[in-house]
Amino acid sequence: MKNSRYGILLLAAASIFAIHAKAQVIVIANPGVKATEISKSDLRDVFTGNATSLPGGANVVPILLKAGTVHEEFLQVYIGKSDSSYRAGWRSLVFSGQASMPKSLDGDAAVVEFVAHNAGAIGYIGKTTPHDGVKVLTVK
Amino acid sequence: MRRIVLKIIAGGILIALPGAASLRAQEFKVGSKTVQVHGFGTQGFIHTDANNWLTMNTSNFGSGEFTDFGANASMQITTHFRAGAQFYDRNVGQLGQWHPQLDWAFADYKVKPWLGIRGGKVKTVLGLYNDTQDVDSAHTFALLPQSIYSIDMRDATLSHLGGDIYGTIKTRKIGKFSYTVYGGDRRDSIYGGYPYNLQIHGIHIQKYGGPVVGGDLRWQTPLAGLMVGASRLNETITGTGQLNPSVALGGPNVLVPYEEHSNKDYVNQFYGTYGKGNLRLDSEYRRYYRNQQIFSGAFNVVVDLRPWYLAGSYRINNWLEFGSYYSHFTISGTIDVPGQSFAASVSDPSRHLYDKAVTARFDLKNHWYAKVEGHFMDGYGGYYYPDGFYPQVNPQGVSPNTNALVVRTGFSF
Repeated sequence: MKNSRYGILLLAAASIFAIHAKAQVIVIANPGVKATEISKSDLRDVFTGNATSLPGGANVVPILLKAGTVHEEFLQVYIGKSDSSYRAGWRSLVFSGQASMPKSLDGDAAVVEFVAHNAGAIGYIGKTTPHDGVKVLTVK
Repeated sequence: MRRIVLKIIAGGILIALPGAASLRAQEFKVGSKTVQVHGFGTQGFIHTDANNWLTMNTSNFGSGEFTDFGANASMQITTHFRAGAQFYDRNVGQLGQWHPQLDWAFADYKVKPWLGIRGGKVKTVLGLYNDTQDVDSAHTFALLPQSIYSIDMRDATLSHLGGDIYGTIKTRKIGKFSYTVYGGDRRDSIYGGYPYNLQIHGIHIQKYGGPVVGGDLRWQTPLAGLMVGASRLNETITGTGQLNPSVALGGPNVLVPYEEHSNKDYVNQFYGTYGKGNLRLDSEYRRYYRNQQIFSGAFNVVVDLRPWYLAGSYRINNWLEFGSYYSHFTISGTIDVPGQSFAASVSDPSRHLYDKAVTARFDLKNHWYAKVEGHFMDGYGGYYYPDGFYPQVNPQGVSPNTNALVVRTGFSF
């Protein structure tokens, strides 16, 4: 009985550690984007197609990763949806004419490259990915 | 000839569904601007244990006459200005009949987050899913709750030729408000459920529609994931065509001009949705009231529908989602046609249709999915307003209960 309690505690602790250990995504933007920080709510609006600008008025264009743990973590932490649900939301917008599908790129390096060279681009990458030429936005 | 060509195209796409799953959105340049091209297609199969449903012969082996597809092209011309168009085609039993439609085609200028304007053929914002009801890949269910989003009456509220003013206003403390106001002209396909319903009376509609005005206000509340809203639509609808008086009126076997029009026609809709993690709950209530003159003004019919539904879904993982809904349809009204009347009580199966549905959705690949859905229906809602059951495909009469199995697969790119 005692052992099973310790087991449950250990599992809970491991889960908490896992959640924190996973928080390894950073949000990056083209250096021309004036903002230095972004609220979680504004970030969600931009990446779900509900907003095309930040509160200061800067127009932004979301850039996605096609798949992978960074992509899954971004969706889980900042959007609160699975990849399937997330893409279903975009299909609703695209096939009713309300938005264009955001560009999806193959890996972190491609996202950095694209964001660095396209005005208003905003994306997400793994924390350890080199990100010269872009600015990191703090998510409030 | 056109129908044959379209059948071949649709058949080719759908036979190649698994291959189509690897389709990707296409992009090309016009000058310095990028044009995006996207498309989708679905193929369904329905089997019922009694009654033929949705204009298909579903009650024997079942029917696979349940196909639709569409494609669009759009371009972001400037930061604020975009334009695009989509065509759509379907063949669902007697509906659509492979006649392609311009689904939407408009230009959209977003001045500020709180002010945008779009004009052309625009999807009508009404409740949670009116404007996205064809986007099967975006929904958990193979059939959205039919009390409100019936596939046979798809055309009735789908789009308008006109314009919208829309925007979103964010507040610091009480959430976010999005509004849309619109006006224009509704033009229904003559291959929809309502014209089909009239054929049993010897009426062949050739043109159906009229001016519409309406609006929608939705509130993203401070409680994360909770959104509530309300929509209103006012219409003045006229249908014209030909009538064979020998069919329903006992007159001569000739074709004479036919006209019907609404005296009063409106929709009120209230809705809410809540999403947290993998859980989603939706509920909507609609009141549709129509007072109209039919048979070239000879008779008056009032139809008062008050459907609602409650739906829930839960995504287990990236490839599996379960969902269920209860869809409640009742019909009331008055008819001054001799020998015609509504049943006295709503408990009569001709005055209601209560549908319990359970669904499993499988996301097989990024662009390819399949759904398996069971429907357990009580009532058939009568024939005074289309609700999925039609006398033409049920000449032997209708049983009060229907169970249905729906399988639907589709792709989008």
